[in-house]
Amino acid sequence: MSNSTTDDSLITTEVQTDSNDGRAAPAAGTAVAARDLDVFYGDEQAIDDVTMEIPEKRVTALIGPSGCGKSTFLRCINRMNDMIEICRVEGDVEFGGKNVYDDDVDPVALRRKIGMVFQKPNPFPKSIRDNVAYGLKIQDFDGDVDARVEESLKGAALWDEVKDQLDSSGLELSGGQQQRLCIARAIAPDPEVILMDEPTSALDPVAASKIEDLIDDLAEEYTVIIVTHNMQQAARISDRTAVFLTGGELVEYDDTAKIFEDPEEQRVEDYITGKFG
Amino acid sequence: MATENPNADGFGEVSRVRGILFEYLSFGASVFGLVALGVLLVYVAIDAFDLANASPEWLLTYFLTLVVPFLAFCLYSANDRDVTRRALVALGGGLVAVAVLFSAIEALLVPIPRLNWQLAYLFVVAAPVTAYLAYVGSRGRLGAVGFGLLGRLVGGVAVGLAVGTLFLVLDALLWFLAYTIGVLPAVGLYALGRVRSSPRARTAAAPVGLVGLTAAVFLRDVVATYPSDLIIYLWTIAIPVAAAGAFLVAGRRGRTAGAVVGGVPLAAATAGGFLAAGAGLPAPTVLLAIVLTGVPTAVYVSRVVDGGEGLAGLGLPLLLAAGAIAGALIVEALGVPAPNPWLDASFLTQAPSRTPEQAGLYPAIVGSVIIIAMVAVLSFALGVGTSVFLEEYTPESGALGTLTRILQVNIANLAAVPSVVYGLLGLGLFANLLGLGIGTAVTAALTLSLLILPITIISAQEAIRSVPDDLRRGSDAMGATRWQTTKNVVLPEAMPGILTGTILALGRAIGETAPLIMIGAATTVFRAPDSLFSRFSAMPMQIYTWAGFPQADFRYGVVAAGVITLLIILVGMNGTAILLRNRAERGS
Repeated sequence: MSNSTTDDSLITTEVQTDSNDGRAAPAAGTAVAARDLDVFYGDEQAIDDVTMEIPEKRVTALIGPSGCGKSTFLRCINRMNDMIEICRVEGDVEFGGKNVYDDDVDPVALRRKIGMVFQKPNPFPKSIRDNVAYGLKIQDFDGDVDARVEESLKGAALWDEVKDQLDSSGLELSGGQQQRLCIARAIAPDPEVILMDEPTSALDPVAASKIEDLIDDLAEEYTVIIVTHNMQQAARISDRTAVFLTGGELVEYDDTAKIFEDPEEQRVEDYITGKFG
Repeated sequence: MATENPNADGFGEVSRVRGILFEYLSFGASVFGLVALGVLLVYVAIDAFDLANASPEWLLTYFLTLVVPFLAFCLYSANDRDVTRRALVALGGGLVAVAVLFSAIEALLVPIPRLNWQLAYLFVVAAPVTAYLAYVGSRGRLGAVGFGLLGRLVGGVAVGLAVGTLFLVLDALLWFLAYTIGVLPAVGLYALGRVRSSPRARTAAAPVGLVGLTAAVFLRDVVATYPSDLIIYLWTIAIPVAAAGAFLVAGRRGRTAGAVVGGVPLAAATAGGFLAAGAGLPAPTVLLAIVLTGVPTAVYVSRVVDGGEGLAGLGLPLLLAAGAIAGALIVEALGVPAPNPWLDASFLTQAPSRTPEQAGLYPAIVGSVIIIAMVAVLSFALGVGTSVFLEEYTPESGALGTLTRILQVNIANLAAVPSVVYGLLGLGLFANLLGLGIGTAVTAALTLSLLILPITIISAQEAIRSVPDDLRRGSDAMGATRWQTTKNVVLPEAMPGILTGTILALGRAIGETAPLIMIGAATTVFRAPDSLFSRFSAMPMQIYTWAGFPQADFRYGVVAAGVITLLIILVGMNGTAILLRNRAERGS
């Protein structure tokens, strides 16, 4: 057994996955928890009664076929679903012990504590420095911006490649570098959680593997929740894996090793082995 | 390939006749349009500059002293053997071809009025070759430096004149107070906040400025003594501009260089201003023109000297000036008869007159510049504001969404309303209901702003819509408020498109006559407007009036000079806006 004896783990396993040996930390607390979460787009139900607890400073992967609601679930955590007019959320999403859908929660303030990285790299058409400093700027950060920019770029394993061209446009970087720039941008305001929505699906394998290494490092400081279509990726980088299947149902949620080697549900095994989905 | 293949004889043919026909028809139509417009402009230019009476010797002198050195500069800058060879072939071959063709047409077909083969050569061959070489030359480092310097010189004078013109109607005393107790403290506080990195000073800047501006309005009539106009412009514009230039250079080259870059133009402008005052010229305008030309030029020269490349390009303005002087001297010495252009200094500085020789466009130019400046500010601010509201702030569904859609449709319809109708609206709303006066500059500016507002809004909306949603979501996810996202991400990205739409719309506003007639603008005024509420005339109105005069000199010479002036101001204005837009594009 490696590390993931979290209080909420359903079943503990003795299988060693290769990713989490660097983080053989004691039992972690809960960063984000969903309770009886239902999400509707108009009349269509995208998430069906999901309850799960996501441990802090771990990588949690959400996998499942297209349209199963995993991205929707991710967007519930920082209330990005608010931007979609027809979207309706019922149930609780707790972050830091507080339901983010309570009336007194300001979604903008919430998002300042949760970083997000998107499927397609979306750096702003500004200089590399301004991209990373964006979150600091909008939060009226008082400290040393340049130092924080450097720290964040180092944290995103990009500093050595761009330190001489901080004033050139972020759009001049390659796709993989752009995605790491977006990660640097997300970690610059020092959030507690980083949400990643298929961060490597628009990248080539080499760039993708750099991002995977990076995610592994990020989990030492941040809680990382990643949506991915790539089964191997989920197996490689995550500590916990949640499998969503069509209809927005959370079918199984457990340690990654358990999910990939001995899933409880036949449907999960079918999906992972490619018989379904 | 196997011989039994049914395609062995080829794959058959697919007819492209319609496509080819369409291609050549479109090509022909656009060429026809361009040639027709070109011919018109050539004749207008010939009339305005009296080129029909220019002797071949006169043309040759200036061709040799002005055009040939310029071409040589461009070729030297391009530094491309191939281009040089092609340019020489075009110039030489063109000379023979035009002379032969022109004589043939005159002899065999019809005589061509008010043109000779030398002029034809100038317009058909020399002008396009010059333009092409200027383009090629400007891509070399030398040419880029030369044109950069030339642009700052000409642009600085133009901006100086425009600002001077605006202050004919703006209240200089109010501006003096507003600057001294509003703008200056606010900018100072903000700068202090940046240097000390104290956000409190930065946030205090805006309220302090507002309080100052409000106080200025109340104090305007309370304060009894003001410094002279010249001192006011020196204090509120010349010194800040010089300081900004000095600051820019000081950061890069040290304090001494900064002091020189700021100080020399400032001293020259001050001296020029007082000399002009002594000579009875409009001193503030001279001061503004010198300082707005001198400081950017000095900053540019300092930057080029820093870069150390293409230094020789800085000689281009000298080369052209020397060419013009040499040409004038030769013409004088040889007694070559010179043409007597309608478009000369007195045309630009004098009031209209009954006699064509004394007719001038000055009051109408001032009127047009003032109106356009106001229209630009008003329609840009209102247009961007409305489009941001419609695109970023209104929901797509619900009652408000329906309201938005109704608004959208109506704005699109408003763009199609004839300008006469807007004139009527301006007359009823601004002139009568709001009492801004019939035929005043402010009524005209508001009316023209309304006229182009739908175009500005629609193009700005289009530009805002074309900003990828990815960027908005990225900013939202960082915890930006909608306003922060709009200000930091959406607007900078949409700005080039917004500016393009505004430029096109302004081009339409500057040429409008119908709404001006409806709001009762004068066809001819003899004094430049001196306040926003004085009667004014605009260039197109004045030109239209002249076109109806019985004397042929008016209908040909003076109208042509007016048209060329209008076009030059329009092109200059659009050029400035396009430069700004390109800068915005490069910045992103």
